[in-house]
Amino acid sequence: MGVFEFMIGRKKPTPGEVAKERLKVALAHDRIKVNPELLELIKHDLLKAISQRMEIDEQHVQVNMAREGGFDKILADMPVKRQKIAFEWDPPSHSPAASALKGGPLHVEIERMRDDK
Amino acid sequence: MDSRVITITSGKGGVGKTTTTANLGTALAMMGKKVAVVDSDIGLRNLDAVLGLENRIVYDLVDVVEGQCRLRQALIKDKRQPELYLLPAAQTRDKNAVNSVQMEQLCQQLRPEFDYIIIDSPAGIEQGFRNAIVGADEIIIVANPEMASVRDADRIIGLVESAGKPEPRLILNRLRPEMVRRGDMMDVADVLEVLGVDLLGIIPEDENIIIAINKGEPIVYDKRTKAGRAYFNAAQRILGEEVPLEEVTEATSLMERLRRLMGFGPALTERRVRS
Ligand SMILES: Nc1ncnc2c1ncn2[C@@H]1O[C@H](COP(=O)(O)OP(=O)(O)OP(=O)(O)O)[C@@H](O)[C@H]1O
Ligand SMILES: [Mg+2]
Repeated sequence: MGVFEFMIGRKKPTPGEVAKERLKVALAHDRIKVNPELLELIKHDLLKAISQRMEIDEQHVQVNMAREGGFDKILADMPVKRQKIAFEWDPPSHSPAASALKGGPLHVEIERMRDDK
Repeated sequence: MDSRVITITSGKGGVGKTTTTANLGTALAMMGKKVAVVDSDIGLRNLDAVLGLENRIVYDLVDVVEGQCRLRQALIKDKRQPELYLLPAAQTRDKNAVNSVQMEQLCQQLRPEFDYIIIDSPAGIEQGFRNAIVGADEIIIVANPEMASVRDADRIIGLVESAGKPEPRLILNRLRPEMVRRGDMMDVADVLEVLGVDLLGIIPEDENIIIAINKGEPIVYDKRTKAGRAYFNAAQRILGEEVPLEEVTEATSLMERLRRLMGFGPALTERRVRS
């Protein structure tokens, strides 16, 4: 982006640029014959896999085909709601936690909220 | 033997196939080639009018294919170019009056007589389009720099390739430099990047084209017009000559040039560098 463009604050893409981007997506669909139903399935599969590790904001998930640098790509945009961190904790035997637990490891689950929004 | 059959097609209608056929054909004839332009848009005859030959039609393509007349009887000699001939489309026939085998045979019949046979394809991707490309050595796609046209062009490129034809070249028609400069229209580079084909020519939007069509005189005769020069250059590229691409996007007004110099110019130049 040129300095002046920045100064006048034009961050919005021009209609020409919008057309080009929309075309890229449309053509990628057309070319590899990915119909919306197939994309829905892929989206579902991705969500299922990723949700085991992270909580995804399902309302705002976008899965699309695009063409960049001569290659067709799948672009998945999946906003993370919460990150699930779960692990087994085996505290050192001398620590107070260990005596409180009386042996067996501790199951820890931490939920981290998204810090934006 | 050495003849080349070139089909002008587009997918989308009204983007300039007939205008392009008439102008490339005329330009090649001006350069001393023997040329036949063939209107394969059966039922929607147009090429005759763009060339100003609409009052001379006796027989047409379907008559030839059905053996109602000999090829020579149907070919109409151009008004100004002694080596340019038109094979008109039938006007009152169904668009499925001809099949692919017949079209291929027609091309074979024309080849010994001409250096270049240029076929004006109908819009669409149905039988008429397939007939138009079946006998072609080369395909030229006409597109306008807007979404629907480029998208259809992409579809055609796929169909041309799956028909076993070499990769088509592109004529980008109706480019509006002012709009490109403002960022309101896709640039030549944008379209080429998206389609991934070679460029044969850029024809600017030019109201002189409409005037020329009204007069029945192809615009290539008028070298003072940008579109006329652009078509002439494209025809030279068909002959294999290296003609630099005309700067259609060049700034015209002093104000515009100044603004560019100062960096107020639109993203055009920068985008070029980046890509
Ligand atoms: N570069 C141009 N500048 C201005 N007008 C143009 C230009 N090219 C084409 N036109 C206009 O567009 C009209 C349609 O062009 P043309 O008949 O060549 O398209 P076509 O692709 O053959 O259409 P169809 O699909 O109906 O056969 C022309 O009559 C003319 O008015
Ligand atoms: Mg036409």
